[in-house]
Amino acid sequence: MKEDRVAPLKDIDRLKKRSRSRRNIVEKGGSLTLATSGLVGLFFLLVLVWQIALPTFIEGETGEIYAASEFIPVSEYIMEWDHPNVDENGAILTEVITLKLSWEENGKEQNQDIEIRILPERGIVNDVYINASTGVSTEVLEVSKKAKFHIYSTLEVPINVEQTTGPVPKADATGQPLVSSFVVSADVHLLADDEGIVFEPLELLAWGSLLATTAVMTFPKPFALKQVQRIKGKEKPAKYLFLALAAATLVAGAFSFSSILGALCFLIASTSLLRMHEGLHRLLGQGRTIAETDRLVHSITNRDGVLMWSRMVLFVATLFIPFAIEIPFLTERYQDIFQPYASGIRSAFFGTVWVMSIAMIVSIPVSIGAAIYLEEYAAPTRTTKLIQALVTNLAGVPSIVFGMFGLAIFVKQGGIGMGLGPSILAAGLTMGVMAMPIIVLASQEALRSVPQSLRESAYGVGCTRWQVVKDHVLPSAMPGIMTGSILAMSRIMGEAAPLVVVGAAALVLFDPEPLAGLTGGNVNFTVIPIQIYFWTSEPDHAWHSMAAAASIALIVLLVAMNSIAIILRQHFRRRLNQ
Amino acid sequence: MSEEIGGEIVPDSTRELEIDNEVDLMIEDLDLWYGSKQALYGVSLPIAKNSVTALIGPSGCGKSTLLRTINRMNDLIPICHYEGKITKGDIEITAKDADLVEIRKNIGMVFQRPNPFPKSIYDNVGYGVRLHHQPTREELDAIVEKSLRRAAIWKEVADRLHDLGTSLSGGQQQRLCIARTIAIEPDVILMDEPCSALDPIATAAIEELILELKKDFTVVIVTHSMSQAARVSDYTGFMYLGRMVEFNKTDKIFSDPDQELTKRYITGRFG
Ligand SMILES: Nc1ncnc2c1ncn2[C@@H]1O[C@H](COP(=O)(O)OP(=O)(O)O)[C@@H](O)[C@H]1O
Ligand SMILES: [Mg+2]
Repeated sequence: MKEDRVAPLKDIDRLKKRSRSRRNIVEKGGSLTLATSGLVGLFFLLVLVWQIALPTFIEGETGEIYAASEFIPVSEYIMEWDHPNVDENGAILTEVITLKLSWEENGKEQNQDIEIRILPERGIVNDVYINASTGVSTEVLEVSKKAKFHIYSTLEVPINVEQTTGPVPKADATGQPLVSSFVVSADVHLLADDEGIVFEPLELLAWGSLLATTAVMTFPKPFALKQVQRIKGKEKPAKYLFLALAAATLVAGAFSFSSILGALCFLIASTSLLRMHEGLHRLLGQGRTIAETDRLVHSITNRDGVLMWSRMVLFVATLFIPFAIEIPFLTERYQDIFQPYASGIRSAFFGTVWVMSIAMIVSIPVSIGAAIYLEEYAAPTRTTKLIQALVTNLAGVPSIVFGMFGLAIFVKQGGIGMGLGPSILAAGLTMGVMAMPIIVLASQEALRSVPQSLRESAYGVGCTRWQVVKDHVLPSAMPGIMTGSILAMSRIMGEAAPLVVVGAAALVLFDPEPLAGLTGGNVNFTVIPIQIYFWTSEPDHAWHSMAAAASIALIVLLVAMNSIAIILRQHFRRRLNQ
Repeated sequence: MSEEIGGEIVPDSTRELEIDNEVDLMIEDLDLWYGSKQALYGVSLPIAKNSVTALIGPSGCGKSTLLRTINRMNDLIPICHYEGKITKGDIEITAKDADLVEIRKNIGMVFQRPNPFPKSIYDNVGYGVRLHHQPTREELDAIVEKSLRRAAIWKEVADRLHDLGTSLSGGQQQRLCIARTIAIEPDVILMDEPCSALDPIATAAIEELILELKKDFTVVIVTHSMSQAARVSDYTGFMYLGRMVEFNKTDKIFSDPDQELTKRYITGRFG
């Protein structure tokens, strides 16, 4: 009976339900498609990274003996091992070295293995010959250490050379590659290794305390908060203790990068701790208990500027403090034109760091100023609209054009040229100019997203225009502005084209001098994308591996920078949603 | 002395502006345009000191516009321009070279939608004071407490002064905005439909507050609620299509209006 009475309602119910289930299907289908395409994209990305990374794992000699022809009747392939793999009596010391030669003959696959014995005595030279009638001249080859031997081929097809077993050519007596971290490898030492303590214990303490306070702030749990509560009445001493620790870290670490980071960790940890304690204290004063951590989260999120900074510092510090990560490829080795595998991108890395720093210094303040002017000060006259249109279009101008601009303004002497030469300074200025429109647009967007009511309420209490901007609009827009700036920076970090025009060099064997363009000195510089570009155009395969390694280094740097932008953006979103 | 607009006889803005109290603000012959669209037609209005003046009228008749002209908030709208004169004593508010900071400091404003700063409750109230004065910590503490007490919100926020102002409820935010306005002790407080987003309890609290504020401040309030205007105000101005149709003592307007239009509006036979 009851059912009957609600029957008219039921129809409506069914209608609603049907559309809801359809919506659910659409939604599920949509998200499934999205997820799948995302996964596919991720898969391709992985394949790409794998493909880039593959050549950097050098397992042995690989290469190709080119096909002989009318013009080049004999082609050769030269190899050399540094250390013997047999002793005086002919006993094998390391794994057997086997080279596999393979080629195609009359449509059939031909294979021939050669065992190579590197003898300890000097002066024994042997070569290998391959020709169509007799095939490979020998199956076992004996040569002295450090003696070059040649493989000559008169075949009109290319021959693949692949080392299947044994130490690689540039290996030490044990068969390990001579260059210990020959491409991108990070040596991770924990607190101490054979040579003693690798990094300062104070820095580790700093990192640890920041990690702890950030964790407590992010996930406030009663037992941790009880510990925080203990500093009650000792706030001042606790603050001074942290200050002293920070100073000690700086002095002990001789103001090195990691010691500065350590000091920063201490400072932020102490701020977080005190803020947390303050929040806790207020909560208890309100008659709440520590168990009500939900309330505390709220009370702490009001201070999440601290949380944001603590996360950012933690993120950077994790890379440098807890482990002494050594990436000789990045920070120690210059290019060695004779030994690709022993090369590094030190000069390119520092070139990138300097170019980015200069670009940042020149572009960010100017661009933020321009954005503030356009959004907050300029009346919407025809001139402002024109400027706005110009800025918007500049953001889409191809980067090579900025390169030409840089060449004319910064590099060349005479006319409007400043005559800085093909230097870091000119490159940094060019890149800065390129970043400007992007940062201006991002900052304008951020300023525009500040509600008009906030401006009105500020004017309402009698603020001047500058006070409104400084006290209300900028603080609200800052995270958005910073995100935009970092993204612009990471975009120009990967640019090669403008710097090719500005005149980055292919081979730089020293640390770049950032101000050489002004003060005189050697102006030559290079950056990572340029280095990659020049290395890929080398004929030797080894350089391609190095280019791959440099690409990975560049990607890692970009990801690191974008991560900071993501932290900022998340922080911004949370603030808005509150 | 009247105009026919859309079949309706709309009288020109009234010039009968007698008040008993001392005049705090005088608005004379104010014409205002948004771009080419005129929003106010020759509006004149005296605002009595230490009393509540209510502005009523249908939506879009220019109440907010008139209010925002008094503290020159309309200057923020680039397309807005006006002619006419607003004076406060011997200060001409509408003068080209008027000191806007001084004007806005002396003529505070409470907006229709509560808009506290995204700062702590304490800073919301203290900000304006710090902007114009250099109080010591103790002085500022005292001012903040006094303002929050006067705005009838102290009890609710006393133990959370350092929480974000935006974390309060709508009614509390509006009272916080009032506290922020009275902290800098203006002479005049302009309120633009301060209760439109509030529940009846919060509305009652704010009405009580307005009657309280009257002792120290001159209040101009825009309201949509006839009963609210009748309850809190001493003088009432009825506006229609950008004209000040009738202005008089509130009792007179609500019991025996001169204009037919006013009568129809307050009795709800309108449109
Ligand atoms: N910023 C503005 N730009 C253009 N026209 C506006 C603006 N603000 C208000 N107006 C117009 O002015 C008239 C009066 O508006 P307003 O003063 O807000 O009315 P009320 O507050 O009485 O509802 C309306 O017709 C409205 O469309
Ligand atoms: Mg209005």
